[in-house]
Amino acid sequence: MLDLMVTPADFVALVNELGRKRRIIGPVARGDRYFYEEVGDAARLELGFSYAVYGPKSFLFPAVETLFRFEADNGSFTAEPVYDDRPAAFVGVHPCDLHAIRLLDRVFAQDRRDEHYLRRRGATMIIGIDCARPCNEGVFCADMKCHQADEGFDVMLLPLSDGDGNRRWGLKFGSAAGREWLTYSRRCTAPTAADERAAETFLRAKAAAFPRALTTRVERLPELLERSYDSLLWEATARRCYSCGSCNLTCPTCYCFDMSDSLDLSLTSGVRQRLWDGCQLPGFALVAGNHNFRPRAAQRLRHRIFRKAKWIRERTGVAGCVGCGRCDRACTAKISAVEIYNQLAELD
Amino acid sequence: MAVLTVPKLDLAASAYIPTPARIVRTEQLTEMEKLFEIELNDPRRLGHEPGQFVQVSLFGFGEAPISICSSPTRPDTFELCVRRVGTVTGRLHALNEGDVIGIRGPLGRGFDVNEMHGRDIVIVAGGLGLAPVRSLIQYIVDERGRFGQFHLLYGCRQPSEILFRDDVAAWRNDRRLHFLQTVDKADEQWRGRVGVVTTLIKELPELDPQQTVVVIVGPPVMFKFVVLEVLARRIPQRSIYCSLERRMKCGIGKCGHCQANQVYVCLEGPVFKYGQLKGLREALD
Repeated sequence: MLDLMVTPADFVALVNELGRKRRIIGPVARGDRYFYEEVGDAARLELGFSYAVYGPKSFLFPAVETLFRFEADNGSFTAEPVYDDRPAAFVGVHPCDLHAIRLLDRVFAQDRRDEHYLRRRGATMIIGIDCARPCNEGVFCADMKCHQADEGFDVMLLPLSDGDGNRRWGLKFGSAAGREWLTYSRRCTAPTAADERAAETFLRAKAAAFPRALTTRVERLPELLERSYDSLLWEATARRCYSCGSCNLTCPTCYCFDMSDSLDLSLTSGVRQRLWDGCQLPGFALVAGNHNFRPRAAQRLRHRIFRKAKWIRERTGVAGCVGCGRCDRACTAKISAVEIYNQLAELD
Repeated sequence: MAVLTVPKLDLAASAYIPTPARIVRTEQLTEMEKLFEIELNDPRRLGHEPGQFVQVSLFGFGEAPISICSSPTRPDTFELCVRRVGTVTGRLHALNEGDVIGIRGPLGRGFDVNEMHGRDIVIVAGGLGLAPVRSLIQYIVDERGRFGQFHLLYGCRQPSEILFRDDVAAWRNDRRLHFLQTVDKADEQWRGRVGVVTTLIKELPELDPQQTVVVIVGPPVMFKFVVLEVLARRIPQRSIYCSLERRMKCGIGKCGHCQANQVYVCLEGPVFKYGQLKGLREALD
């Protein structure tokens, strides 16, 4: 099942070689938390990281992104699109986040294509890292069937060790680009029978290491929601909600955005940008004339949960909630998506 | 023959870049609403369907979604009726002939006029709802021979809010259509009917349920009452159309702002059949 093996030090050297042609983005420690950032030296990457606070969207779908630059002149205007399609290597994406990227890929390619996302994505090589154990308490990625990923990466790293207990990355190719990058590298070696056994042991241990937090099957969530639209659960849970939007901010599959203009000092030129927005914020569904289509926190909470566990999947065919648990951890009121799912199952 | 060809989209281009367009005429319709006649700067015509909308761009201010209120049968220019309610529309009201704005579109799904050909048409418009549906009214008037009976019902709160007064006068005198009008509250000069728009439906002759299409555009509360009256006349749900109002931002089904439950109004709408709204609980709230 393995394609190649590499030592941690050689892997860093390989990424740095890649870095001559590509920007390197990966997990960097800030205090006791991790964020995806661009680095000049792959040695700065914390590849044993738990999880990145903002997930892969912070790179692939930046919090603020310029869509075009405009210039008004003599009664007309010009608008030039801005694309960031610089080649990049995105190193250190866990399986749940690979599932989240798969969703973003579908959303931005579906119906009318979004070239701003797709060009950056097209220029990005993704190097996944499989996780041996849950990255944090409260994850329910295994329940959502998102703790493993067979696709969505160019190369996947498996954290293995050799017979002497030295750490080794086991490499699996997920694309022609990944294969091309490493196949002829002298830093990599062919996997031995012992390496293959280590990979099998890893996967068996992994399967046992992930907790089950959901009391029903993920496939049942859409029908449970279908029957719970008028449940009092929304109102009851939303009593605690501050409508702060932290869940949206940290969710790797939240991609809603606002658009805003910003003028240069000349007042004749500037940029139109998109900015992350969140359906839990009170003004999200406000229309001109001050009518709010979702004025109550309970309506907004219901909207979010329906999207995550039902509507996004129905629309795109892939998971809208990957079970990473970021929203539950970020919630200042301790509202938990998996707890809501379980309550729906219980009320059923 | 109507021009209903949709211009080719450059799919490799950014969907967010507006096209320059010039205001060729404006008309203050009421205290709050102003009409803009617009011509795209390039030789391209808008090529819209009745009921679609555009994003109007004012650089430094942003974009506002505005429904197109003229018919593609009058293809050289198009018209927008804009209520002054926010930053973009407030700034737009200060613009005049010759000023340049940005246009993205046409966006969304409009009325399926092909499905309406050969049928009897009832249009019920309330308040600002007349604006989006005026594109369809003009289409029917211009292509009158392709439709059966045409009943047009228009209600607004008070006489000062009546939109498109020239059109209204023309519709009243046009013997090819049956026009009924009411206001909720009369003033001293008003000589017409008084009462909500629902009361006009009682004045309609018997409708053939298999032959009639009903189009209802107005505030959600009006929609519910009118649908009730129309269903009571045994019009099937697939023959009842409406148009939803939401705050579209991206206009291409990504940004999330216009969602009514699982539906992106900017993509699947803004025109829907009543049958499609079943299960869309947020649609008519």
